[in-house]
Amino acid sequence: MKSLVLEHLAKTYFDPYRGTQVEAIKDLSLTVEEGDFVAVVGPSGCGKTTVLNMIAGFVPKTGGRILVDDREVSGPGPDRGVVFQSFALFPWKTVRENVAFGPKMRGVGKVERARIADEYLEMAGLSHAADRYPNELSGGMQQRVGVVRALANNPDVLLMDEPFASVDAQTRMTLQEELTRIWEERRPTVVFITHDVGEAVFLANKVVVLARGNLLAEVDISLPRPRVWDSLVHDNDFKDLSNQVLQLVRSA
Amino acid sequence: MRPLQTLWGYYIRMTIKWPGLAALIPFIPLIALWSFVVWLELFPRVFLPGPGDVLIKAWELLYKGILLDYLGDSVVRLSVGAAAGMALAIPLGIFIGLNSRAHEVSWPILLFFQAIGDIAWLPILLIWFGFGLTTMTFVIVYTVLFPVVLNTVLGIRSVNPELRRAAQSLGASRPRILFEVTLPGALPNIITGLRNGLGYGWRALIAAEIIVGTSGIGFLMFDARRAGSVEEIVVGMIVLGILWYIVDSWILAPIERATGQRWGLVSS
Repeated sequence: MKSLVLEHLAKTYFDPYRGTQVEAIKDLSLTVEEGDFVAVVGPSGCGKTTVLNMIAGFVPKTGGRILVDDREVSGPGPDRGVVFQSFALFPWKTVRENVAFGPKMRGVGKVERARIADEYLEMAGLSHAADRYPNELSGGMQQRVGVVRALANNPDVLLMDEPFASVDAQTRMTLQEELTRIWEERRPTVVFITHDVGEAVFLANKVVVLARGNLLAEVDISLPRPRVWDSLVHDNDFKDLSNQVLQLVRSA
Repeated sequence: MRPLQTLWGYYIRMTIKWPGLAALIPFIPLIALWSFVVWLELFPRVFLPGPGDVLIKAWELLYKGILLDYLGDSVVRLSVGAAAGMALAIPLGIFIGLNSRAHEVSWPILLFFQAIGDIAWLPILLIWFGFGLTTMTFVIVYTVLFPVVLNTVLGIRSVNPELRRAAQSLGASRPRILFEVTLPGALPNIITGLRNGLGYGWRALIAAEIIVGTSGIGFLMFDARRAGSVEEIVVGMIVLGILWYIVDSWILAPIERATGQRWGLVSS
């Protein structure tokens, strides 16, 4: 896993209904160190998904540079793994085939990529579901597949776009705890987009607050790990940090 | 109510055991109604034969070998025409579906020619190619082509764009995305196109055989009209229905169950 640097990133697009240029992202600079976990929060419309889509290469940037491991990138690539809010699993592939997809595209042989997939599925506690199709799984299980599918391809940076927004509250807490466990084990470089302040503080080492296309603040989260909800719910540091970030988001 | 419910439960268990029965049983009241109308003698027997008369006629035609010969001719014509139609239509649909410029240019043309029904081509085709296989094949290919092209285009264009993004982020090249994502995603629509295409093609073939034919089920029916044999016409109609049911339930439906329904793309 390698570092991610955004230099004066900008995005303007033409709004055909208003007939004007809209500045979605004005001038955003951010460094995510190798092995760091950064969460990006902000009110809806602040451009956080646009930032992720630019890093992923799904939408072209209109200014600035994006560097992954000191290489400038444009367009999507396997160095930046993406976990989608809608899971985006391939419905016609089994869970194992979904996880093995990245290695398959890299030309890894059949036996080896099945082994890689099974290793990651075990990590996510999904070994029993390897031969099932995504539509046979619950939302929480589908997103576990989404996470390990991205990880199994060994990306330099893992980009997560509100990945737990569409699962129920209990499952979400479980998934958050599993993600911190996996992050502590493997130390991937993560950029995590969310509108949920509690989620951002719980998961990240650093929370970045965006407002109207600008970086409003960076808040370091020095809570001890491993983090579990049962203890953090009553933790005063967690509450203070959450309140601090919440105030920033609401002031935006 | 009790005996009715018992009977209904019995029916449900039977049809689970023998699914083929579930397809036959709805016809029982239909045939009963038919027999009843014949029994009332509202129409002369020559105009409206009963199920028994038709069955005897069907046996006679089978015994003479005419029915199977004609059926074979029709099925071969449909298969050849449909295969050629698909071989043209699916690649064309993929190309138009992937290329928005091609889509823009070709869509009005496709809609225009789709509107000129298969049979509307027959007069001009008869002048160009005469009464023969070329005319019939042209009509079937033409009829199969449009539903398959239009549905393939629709399928390709309606694949969830997030899936393409996911594949790109996992390192898939453009050709890999086509084969791993776009085509499987479009498959349910392509199958719908095939189903419609074959259905329309089958009807077009019967029409063509009536006008052009020297053999085939359509010819059998039209020839029977000349001989004044209503039984034979009805035999032809029933064969058409049965054959389509077989194509649909033995070929198309299993493909759908194994693909779109299994993947949760279409509800079962």
